[in-house]
Amino acid sequence: MTAEVLKYTLEQVEALELAPGFEHENLEGWVPAVASDDDLRQALEKAFDYRGDVTLTLKSGERIEAYIFNRHTGATLADSWVQYFTPTAPEKRKVSYAEIARLEFSGKDRAAGKHWEDWVKAYNEKKAAGEKNIALVPDALE
Amino acid sequence: MAVPISQMWTVSSYVLKNRLAGKKRYPLVLMLEPLFRCSLACAGCGKVQYPPHILKKQLTPEECFAAVEECGAPMVSIPGGEPLLHPQIVEIVNGLIARKKYIYLCTNALELKRRLPEFTPSKYLTFSVHLDGQREHHDFSVCREGGYDIAVDGIKEAVRRGFRVTTNATFFDGTDPNSVRAFFDEVMGMGVEGIILSPGYSYDKAPDQNHFMGRARVRRLFRAILSNRKPTWKFNMSPLFLEFLMGDRNYECVPWGMPTYNIFGWQKPCYLLQDGYVDSFKELLETTNWEEYGVPSGNPKCANCMVSCGYETPAVMEGFGSWKGFFAMVKGTFNKYPSQHAMKMLSEAAPHAPATLVQIEEPARALEETHA
Repeated sequence: MTAEVLKYTLEQVEALELAPGFEHENLEGWVPAVASDDDLRQALEKAFDYRGDVTLTLKSGERIEAYIFNRHTGATLADSWVQYFTPTAPEKRKVSYAEIARLEFSGKDRAAGKHWEDWVKAYNEKKAAGEKNIALVPDALE
Repeated sequence: MAVPISQMWTVSSYVLKNRLAGKKRYPLVLMLEPLFRCSLACAGCGKVQYPPHILKKQLTPEECFAAVEECGAPMVSIPGGEPLLHPQIVEIVNGLIARKKYIYLCTNALELKRRLPEFTPSKYLTFSVHLDGQREHHDFSVCREGGYDIAVDGIKEAVRRGFRVTTNATFFDGTDPNSVRAFFDEVMGMGVEGIILSPGYSYDKAPDQNHFMGRARVRRLFRAILSNRKPTWKFNMSPLFLEFLMGDRNYECVPWGMPTYNIFGWQKPCYLLQDGYVDSFKELLETTNWEEYGVPSGNPKCANCMVSCGYETPAVMEGFGSWKGFFAMVKGTFNKYPSQHAMKMLSEAAPHAPATLVQIEEPARALEETHA
């Protein structure tokens, strides 16, 4: 995070009754336009926050399915990189922003649909239907 | 304070050594996340929402040992994910015990009873069992009916086998303080060494983003809960940190006090925010823009945080860093914090079923004082 907007004064923070939280965008399936350097930087910043795999198409034509967990933003695209894991390789890898031609939010957003309200609603419905041992289960690992 | 003398001595001498050496930034607890896989699917948890290939990854014991040695902190907390799902967790724990690190293995305890025979009781090893309240509240909080009973079975068996055991709870908006106090009675009755607690926090990776208390509300809730303490209650936390939660003290966040290491590397800047990763602890200390975090920074991501990973370190450093702090800590250990105002808050708190646990009301006023 750099250049974070200074939003709160100390007094405001100490008096805070409720924290507003952060809005999550629905990015699954999105193919951002990356015509300009700024477009690409913004799209990769969203990819860094995204809780699913993305597909990177490099200028060489290579396609990489990746979970992006880190990024470094330098002065130029050549100085900037994302760091990622692929589903098949054990090691961390890096690719420069300058090599990326296309980005697609191709993987399932693993944070979507997991709001507290969803659980409360499901629980109340199941309870009303007389179900026992109501639970959410972790996603399958296949 | 329910912490053994040997652990207190280790921590106090570590703090004094660093203080005398003039070190500005040093870690107290390494948050070692060996995997993100979990056997629960708690709504609102931001730690486990990853694609399957990430959830299948885990740190090797050697990677864990290297991180622990590089960091140098005297205590290691092992959260996750669920650490007991790691196939080499016993080897990791034994390796840390051999290095004389005080370990808090944070578990939902669904597997605890079954796995206990693989572990050996040690003063260095504590099972810190996630328990968010009384049965109905806990089950609802972790989104699994029956979870409380399994966890309590595990706790009782661990206590019976001679392990150090604590519970750890996170409280969100709408928490019933009377139920929490009854919960403290229950867990102390199970024979645990102490209780660990924390307010919920709206970190931006959590998918549930609407149910977090601001700092004023946190202080009010913890003043209701932690005043008028019963003699049986023991807390495995700094008494000064508990006073911070109650609004009696103010600290600034010390995010490097409990650094996090996981499959991605060393996490910037803290256990809950994920603003990037670096390859070494030295790099973490030297390249993180620390001034961009914490309440004084104005960073909205830090606005409601009063979590132990940022604020218990300064409390411990104060407690072991000066005679004044030490005496305050001793006083806090034995103080029952009598408060008529807190009694009134308790009497006015309406009991409710867990399904309404986190219903948010619009605040009627900007700040209600925590002190009468």
